[in-house]
Amino acid sequence: MPERNVCIIGGGMSLWGVREASIIDMAQEAAKDCFDDVPALKKEDVDGLLFASSYCGRSAFQVNIAPVIAERIGIKPTSMCTRVDTLCAGGSSGIILAAGLIKAGLADVMMVAGGEKLYTPQRWETYYSEMASIDHDWDGAQGMGLPPPFFSMTAQEHMKHYGTTKEQLAAVAVKNRRNGSTNPKGQFQKEVTLEEVMAARPIVPPLGLFDCTPITDGCAAVLLTCEEKAKELSDRPLVYIRGTAQATLHSMSMNWPGEHLADWVHLRTAAKKAYERARVGPDDIDVAQTHDCFTISEIIEMEDLGFCRKGEGGPFVESGQGDFGGKVPVNTDGGLLACGHPFGGTGIRQAREILNQLQGRAIRQVEGAEIGLTHNLSGLNVEHTILIYGREP
Amino acid sequence: MPVPGVPILEGLYPSTLDLYPFEAKEFNRIHQFYENLRQKRFTTTKCKKCGNVPFPPRVVCPQCNSEDLEWVDLPTQGKVLRFTEEVAGVPLGFESPLIHALIDLGVGRKLISRVINCKEGQLKEGDTVKLAVYDVPPMIIEKRGGVMEEAPRVFFAFEPVK
Repeated sequence: MPERNVCIIGGGMSLWGVREASIIDMAQEAAKDCFDDVPALKKEDVDGLLFASSYCGRSAFQVNIAPVIAERIGIKPTSMCTRVDTLCAGGSSGIILAAGLIKAGLADVMMVAGGEKLYTPQRWETYYSEMASIDHDWDGAQGMGLPPPFFSMTAQEHMKHYGTTKEQLAAVAVKNRRNGSTNPKGQFQKEVTLEEVMAARPIVPPLGLFDCTPITDGCAAVLLTCEEKAKELSDRPLVYIRGTAQATLHSMSMNWPGEHLADWVHLRTAAKKAYERARVGPDDIDVAQTHDCFTISEIIEMEDLGFCRKGEGGPFVESGQGDFGGKVPVNTDGGLLACGHPFGGTGIRQAREILNQLQGRAIRQVEGAEIGLTHNLSGLNVEHTILIYGREP
Repeated sequence: MPVPGVPILEGLYPSTLDLYPFEAKEFNRIHQFYENLRQKRFTTTKCKKCGNVPFPPRVVCPQCNSEDLEWVDLPTQGKVLRFTEEVAGVPLGFESPLIHALIDLGVGRKLISRVINCKEGQLKEGDTVKLAVYDVPPMIIEKRGGVMEEAPRVFFAFEPVK
């Protein structure tokens, strides 16, 4: 069978935030929202499910959750049904894997869903489990959890090497909270001012409350299929997966691959490959959802994705180049800072927003967007995952 | 005392909640690293075939796949490049302030480690810190006949050089 072009045809989300619900409840909400987005699709058309979740085995007594989700949402996959775990990039990993299966003819219509229930009945357990999600025996046992201290040092490095300011960090929070203020699915739907961000209580200086993504419960889902089937199932413009990459160059902090903590060589490695595979460059990207787990992350991502030169990420965000009307609008649905971050769900939320943008139906629409990019980093900044979507294959 | 919500765990060791590595030789082929730590040595494995010195220690050389490895010493002092003092959100098992530092060991190696025996506001960039080895709770290993055996453990951090 020749290789097939792969399209994303629909997306959905549960409400994200502090939820009085289990992961299995929220997966049903997300899947329903996704099925509702593609009314012509029948559930028996779906022959594959990938479910991205890292904490399902730590937040509850359940591993191998994919068959549970398949049954509860009412599908009977016959090509593939499995869980994917890449922590913060799990959803994006799932989309890359599903695209590969469809491209190769090993599956036809795949749902990629994912998310987390992070608020356990006792708060200590959420923080405690975080030490399991990095290189546990070496970094986790040092009390490094999910990473405010690590990203504090990253911000210090960027400030030292490039003169980045706290106001420039704050500009990212203000923009993303503004973008998220009209997203009915996000955790925070309220804008914040520059003054509020600057005056917020410190978490790990220089990072304050609004510089950090919150802890979030939530799920998301998207549907992928081949080009021919996409034409049958949807009247909307086709959105293709054009190029992907996932780069892992190290795991333990001692083996950090860059010159310093603000030098993300693994992101540049992934970006180069994804751009080549998609046959585009950074100047071609009309809209991007990047991994703003912390405000400093978005600043470094602007540089290492090639949207501006190394060291100029601070002025780039401060002058609005990452906002509507700038060079490339980034995190148009609010990003992690406003939507929250249920790890396995995040890449799927980003894919859904890019789908909506390229089909001209986003809540905050980038006019005429034809090429979109999503990016995740995961763990203690050990992996970078990029997908590039386009209106042409 | 029974564990609330899971009273069947009374007197049992829930190993999946153990913060520290399973260091005991029954569970770990790099057990020697922890034995060396007890002697205040910070060590790793060197490949006798290709000379590669990775960290963490290995049982197989990641460069040439040789299993012929020997233990070698790494520096036990370094310079603080960056550090953080975490006051809020400190995970269970750690005291506030939880201090982490990016430490340059020289010899082309940097690592992020906890800094202990250090007061809030005491540490400065450029300070010298040295290896600090401390006891952590033993693992409890179930032996034949249901006998519970304690395997003592140590772990490492760094501390200011007075």
